[in-house]
Amino acid sequence: MATSILDLGSERAAESAEADDLGLVEALREGSERAYEELLDRFQQPAYALALRLLNDQSEASDVVQEVFLKVFRSIGNFRGQSSLKTWIYRITVNEAHNARRWFFRHRRQEVDLDTDPEDTRDWKENIADGGRSPFDVAFSGEQHVMIERALERINPIFREAVVLRDITDLSYEEIAEILSVSLGTVKSRILRGRDALREELQGSLRARPALRLVPKTAE
Amino acid sequence: MSCDHVQQQISALIDRRIADGERENVRAHIESCSACQAQWESALSLRSALRGMAQTEVPASLAAKLRVLASHERVRQLSRVSLPARLRNFTAYAGLCFDNLMRPVALPFAGGVLSALLAFGLLVPTLSFPHNFVGGPTFFVEPAGSTVDLAGQTSEKINILAPRIQPVNSPYTGYTNVVDLTIDENGKVVDWTVVSGRLTEELNNLIVLSRFIPATTFGLPTSGKIRAVQGPIIVGPSYSFTVRS
Repeated sequence: MATSILDLGSERAAESAEADDLGLVEALREGSERAYEELLDRFQQPAYALALRLLNDQSEASDVVQEVFLKVFRSIGNFRGQSSLKTWIYRITVNEAHNARRWFFRHRRQEVDLDTDPEDTRDWKENIADGGRSPFDVAFSGEQHVMIERALERINPIFREAVVLRDITDLSYEEIAEILSVSLGTVKSRILRGRDALREELQGSLRARPALRLVPKTAE
Repeated sequence: MSCDHVQQQISALIDRRIADGERENVRAHIESCSACQAQWESALSLRSALRGMAQTEVPASLAAKLRVLASHERVRQLSRVSLPARLRNFTAYAGLCFDNLMRPVALPFAGGVLSALLAFGLLVPTLSFPHNFVGGPTFFVEPAGSTVDLAGQTSEKINILAPRIQPVNSPYTGYTNVVDLTIDENGKVVDWTVVSGRLTEELNNLIVLSRFIPATTFGLPTSGKIRAVQGPIIVGPSYSFTVRS
């Protein structure tokens, strides 16, 4: 009984979201200024986070997000509501990121970046510590993020897409299947293999680190 | 239930994509097996860490670019909403295209026209045109039978006939006496040379008594030379030619 009530609630939420999407799309077609602002407010952050995790490069991610929204604005007339607006925008983001990665491997693989530390390239606002967290937490969290970013970069892009969409963007299997245009079984398999590959990469990087050894010394 | 099978199911268990009966069995195994327990905790920890990476701030520069992009695209969208808006947009677009096309040409074109006008204006006064035999009694002669003042002396008057000094390329042929005349700025003959034929008394009188429209340079009369012939007696309109200075 509890399950059926939950299902009913989720169905209603889905219907409401769908109606919101259609209303937003209609307002976009009419050129409403508020609709444009709302679209950016709702999707610029998740689209940027997705692009950044897929490409692991801030400037590339920024370019991709601009391309994504350009396509969204120009193709909004063709949006028929067969999928949710979120799924549609994420699909465009994944495709654009895929194109950007392919272009990168073709054209910029030979370039050498003098400034390879992503921490140095970040804006100063991004480096300000959160007042609610201790410096240790911040350092640990930052280090953890860098390790995961590097591990993500090393795994197969096909698996990376699935893991990022599931664990970072928090999409359901059905939505991921729709975005990647694959079956549910394939999504499940890719997520499983992606997580395994990520775990192996992280374990490998932890093993490669030199252990911190504290040797007590007496005063002479 | 083997550890391999359980570890294969951990990913599905985290995402709640596992059947109810299977889930209970997998959970029971994880609680009883330390290796699978460690794997489970590791998977949970990794998922938690990945979740934390979703909180990525959009760079301010990107947010600004997106707002500009949205503004431009909104204007573009508005221009396509209705037929009048589309027409307005098309007209503006066509005007812009025309301007873009013509702007690079406009300056050279204007410069070319002005240069041509300037060059023409400078050249026109020095140009000499052949002869104008059509209309206009611009060849100045005294009418037949009239009296003229010879060299400003009013006491001596001579009767002359119709003009008989004509341009060398006049339509009349059969002439024999050809002279080169030097005309001053007042239109009077100041010197002459017989090129062919002979200087008859009649021709001499004609040369002395004829008056010409002098050549002009920049609008001012000037002296010049012409070649002329002694033609037949003409009754009717006279002819003119310009003196080449």
